[in-house]
Amino acid sequence: MAEMWISMGPQHPMTHGLWTLKVKVDGETIVDADPELGYLHRSVEKMGERRKYFMNTTLTDRLCYASSTTWTHSYVLAVEELMEVEVPTRAQYIRTIMLELQRLASHLMWAGAYMPDLGHITGALYFWRDRELFLNLLELPSGSRLLYNFMRIGGVKRDLPDGFEEKTERILKLFEQRLDEYADLFENSKIFRMRTEDVGKFTGSQAMNMGITGPNLRGCGVKHDLRVEDTYEIYEEIDWDVCTREAGPGYSDCFSRYMIRIDEMKESVKIIRDCFKKMPKGPTMSARVPIRASGEAFRRTEDSRGEALMYLVGDGSDRPYRWKIKSPMFTTISACPHYLKGYKLADIPAIMGSIDICIGETDK
Amino acid sequence: MDFSDLHKQLKSMEGVSKVSHIRKNVIKLDLEKSVSKVFFTKLKDDFYFEHCSLITAIDNQPDFELVYHLSCLSGELSVDGTKMSAMVEVHIHLQRDSPSVDSVSDLWFGANWHEREAFDLMGIYFIGHPDLRRVLLPEGFAGHPLRKDYVYEIHEEEW
Repeated sequence: MAEMWISMGPQHPMTHGLWTLKVKVDGETIVDADPELGYLHRSVEKMGERRKYFMNTTLTDRLCYASSTTWTHSYVLAVEELMEVEVPTRAQYIRTIMLELQRLASHLMWAGAYMPDLGHITGALYFWRDRELFLNLLELPSGSRLLYNFMRIGGVKRDLPDGFEEKTERILKLFEQRLDEYADLFENSKIFRMRTEDVGKFTGSQAMNMGITGPNLRGCGVKHDLRVEDTYEIYEEIDWDVCTREAGPGYSDCFSRYMIRIDEMKESVKIIRDCFKKMPKGPTMSARVPIRASGEAFRRTEDSRGEALMYLVGDGSDRPYRWKIKSPMFTTISACPHYLKGYKLADIPAIMGSIDICIGETDK
Repeated sequence: MDFSDLHKQLKSMEGVSKVSHIRKNVIKLDLEKSVSKVFFTKLKDDFYFEHCSLITAIDNQPDFELVYHLSCLSGELSVDGTKMSAMVEVHIHLQRDSPSVDSVSDLWFGANWHEREAFDLMGIYFIGHPDLRRVLLPEGFAGHPLRKDYVYEIHEEEW
C-alpha cells in the first residue's frame, strides 16, 4: 500500500496540549514520525533574563500547569546554589511535603488524562475526583489551587497552617483505599491490559540514550531517581524506596509505565507521612537572601516527569545573565519516532499518553 | 570505576584544561573545540556517560560558550563508593564569527533536539547534524532571539 503522512494536531484529542505529530503510515502501520513543537513557546528563558531572580518564580510556576511547584522548586534550588543560601530545616521538610503532594496531584492528573485516551472515560472521573483532594491540601498553605508560587528563594512562603497534618493524614488514608479501587478498575481490567501491554516498548539503554528519564526510565527497570542519586532537601533522611517496574527483561511498555506511577504514588504517601513524623520546629525562611549573584550553578531535580535541570549564569547583577531550563519531556517527545515505529495508528494515543506529556514545560 | 579515577583520566586527555570538582559528583572542565568529537566519543564509550542531560549555548559577548551536561544514570560510576549519578560539565568556547561545532547527536539521540534548540535560539551551527531546523520558533523567523545583540521590534518596559 502507498505510504502517506497524517498530521495529528495541533488540536487533537491525543496531543494533550498544542503540538503536532506527523506520522507516516503504510496502511495502518506507523513507518515514521515527525513531532513538531513551538505552539506554546513563550520564551521563558528570555523573559527571565529581564526579571529579577525572585520575580522568576511566577514564570517557573507557569512552566507546567500539572506540576508547577516542582518546577519552581527546581529553579529556587539552582538560585540557592548560585547565591549560596542556606535553607532552614523546617522549610526543607515543608518543601518535601509540597513536592510529594504535587507529584501525587500530577500523577493523578496524568492517569485521569490517560484513561480517556484509551476510551475509558470513567477512569478520568475517578482519578480527577482524587486529584481534587490533593489540590485542596495544596491550597491550604499556598492559597492557590493550580499555580502555587509557594517556594521562595531561601525558604517557603509561609509555615503550614494549623491542623494540616491531621487533614493530610485523613486524605492519605482515604487515598490508600482508593488505590485498591484502581487496582480493581484498571490493573485487573482485561480491556485496559490489552490496550497497554506489549505496546510502545523501549529498553532502558535506549531510553537513556534518547534522553528519556523519570518514571518512563524506571518503568524499564533502571533504578535511577535523582531524589536519591543527586539528593536534595531531606530525601536521604526519609524512609522510602525507589521503585522500578519492568514489562520484560530491561524494557517497558505502556502498562509498566502506568504501574510505575501507581507505585510512585504509594511511595509519595510514605514520604509525606515520614516528613510529618520527623519535621522539627523552626523558621521557614532564611534570614538573609542576597538579590545579586555571580558565577554559575545548576541543580537537577526529579520532576514528576523526569530529570529537570536548571542552569543559571549570573553576572553580578540582580537578574540572571543566562537561564536554561532542561525539560524532560522535550527530549522524550523528540524520541517518539523510535518508540512509535512498527505499531498501529490506533496505538498512538496509548503510547503518547503513557509517557505523560506536558507541553508547557516542553515549549518553555 | 570510581569518580576520582575519572578525574585523573580526564586530566590527561588532549585538549582538556581546568578540570575541577564543583560538587561531589560533578566534574567541570574546558575543552578545545577541535577535539570535541573524539572527547565525547570516549566519554560515552569508555566512561559510561550514556545520557546527555542538556546542551546550553551562552552568548558571552563577543564569544559564544557551549555547556554540555552529561550524566551517568546506570550507576556504573560510583562516587566515593556510593551509588550517585555522576556528571560532567564540559565548556567549549566558540568564536563569534564561526559559531560551529561538531554535532554529538549521533552519539546521544537525546542531544538532537538540544542542538536544534541551540541553533534556533542562539544560532550555533552543529556540523553533521542530521536535521538542523528550527524547533521552537516558526520557520522563516529572522534572527536568534537569545543572542544579546538581538534587537526587539517592540518597545520594552523596564521592570
